[in-house]
Amino acid sequence: MMPRNKVAWRRAVFVVLIIVSLALLTITFRESDSGPVHAVQQFGAGLLTPLQSWGSEVADPFQQGYQWFKTLWSAHKRADALEEEVQMLQGKVIQLEEKAEENERLKGLLDLRDKGTYPDGTDFKVAEVIGKSPTRWESWVLIDKGSADGLRVGLPVVGATPAAGESLAGKGLVGKITEITEHTAKVELITDSGSSVAAKIQGRRAEGMVEGSLSGSLTMDFVDRDIAVDPKLVIVTSGYGPIYPADVPIGIVANVGEEDVNIYKEIEVQAFVDFRVLEQVMVLIIPEVAE
Amino acid sequence: VNRRSLIALGKVALLVAVAVVLQTMLISRVSVLGVTADLFLILTIVLAMGRGSMAGAAFGFVAGVVADVAYMQPLGIRALVYVLTGYFVGMVVLRLGSLGPWVVFLMSIGASFCSQLAFGIFQFVLGPRAGFLTIVGLQILPEAVLDGLIAIPLYVLLVRLGILPEPRKQPVAAKAVSE
Repeated sequence: MMPRNKVAWRRAVFVVLIIVSLALLTITFRESDSGPVHAVQQFGAGLLTPLQSWGSEVADPFQQGYQWFKTLWSAHKRADALEEEVQMLQGKVIQLEEKAEENERLKGLLDLRDKGTYPDGTDFKVAEVIGKSPTRWESWVLIDKGSADGLRVGLPVVGATPAAGESLAGKGLVGKITEITEHTAKVELITDSGSSVAAKIQGRRAEGMVEGSLSGSLTMDFVDRDIAVDPKLVIVTSGYGPIYPADVPIGIVANVGEEDVNIYKEIEVQAFVDFRVLEQVMVLIIPEVAE
Repeated sequence: VNRRSLIALGKVALLVAVAVVLQTMLISRVSVLGVTADLFLILTIVLAMGRGSMAGAAFGFVAGVVADVAYMQPLGIRALVYVLTGYFVGMVVLRLGSLGPWVVFLMSIGASFCSQLAFGIFQFVLGPRAGFLTIVGLQILPEAVLDGLIAIPLYVLLVRLGILPEPRKQPVAAKAVSE
């Protein structure tokens, strides 16, 4: 018997479906695994199994495509994170490189201290370069040690800068202290146009004066014309005069010039120290000679 | 049983078959934000919107039984939930005005949410009693939104295929009153 009213019919169907659902549910839970409802379900599931396995093959390219996009998105995000990490690591690398360079420079200074022949009682003080001359008219550097550290005007200063090649490269004479305060000192570089250092060429009995210039180049003057001077020979301090001790390396002979009107050779000197990148120096605190 | 009813029945059977194929082959394998859409549920909702509560409940029952079989779950759980879903969606739509895309979308989200919540309560009662709220956040809500998003094009497609009638401009209940 079918209800005549549409709404009643609808409700009847709904109620029947609910009852059937509940009945199915109840039977499923109450019957054993080998019961008829389970058997039907297993049969149905068996019918769907080929569909599911075939589905996995069909869906595979779609899944891969989706995964590809997903991976692309995560890769993009990861790339951003890595970019940040790279920048951070680059910063660290720069710091480490700085440390390594500093280490190298200090090693150079130690080398200078250990291999040099300095007057007895000479003390050494490593200082940081904290300022440089702003114009080419003068060539000097400001260091972070002063009279409070035992420094005084007239002390020689050596330095070490990164350089490759020659054994002495990078290590050599820098200049002398010309002005001093309690905690700073001004070091006139040997490249200053007013600087002159008594020097000699190793292996030759040639002596002269190494002088600076406005261009920053070094020239060795007053070398006797009769003495043969070849390029690459090492020039060191001669020790004459009150400031620089003997045998402090200055540079090498770069070029030898001879003019007919000049009674001396004019030798172009290439300094061991690269003054453009000078960051640390060592002051040789030579004991004061009592007058 | 006349010819029209037979054709309608055939269409529904075909729809269930297509749903089985699509759900088992494709949709259950594609997860978006960790959830997969439930085509059986979406079809139940969409059919209830277009054909009314009785068709919705009937389709929900069939789809639910098939889903229970496909997912190897106690037979009747989804059937019961989908019957309720289909019936109540049909009842709500009966009282609504025009059936625009937003209505389809929001109704689908709401129906999917309630349906999954009911199913979740079943699972919670029968299964491990932990993380219900987590499941609401991680599973039920995202899947409801996903179902809602799929429901709109599916509704349009079924209307174009003639399986569902054109959406009404006036609620049936209001029409009956005005007549």
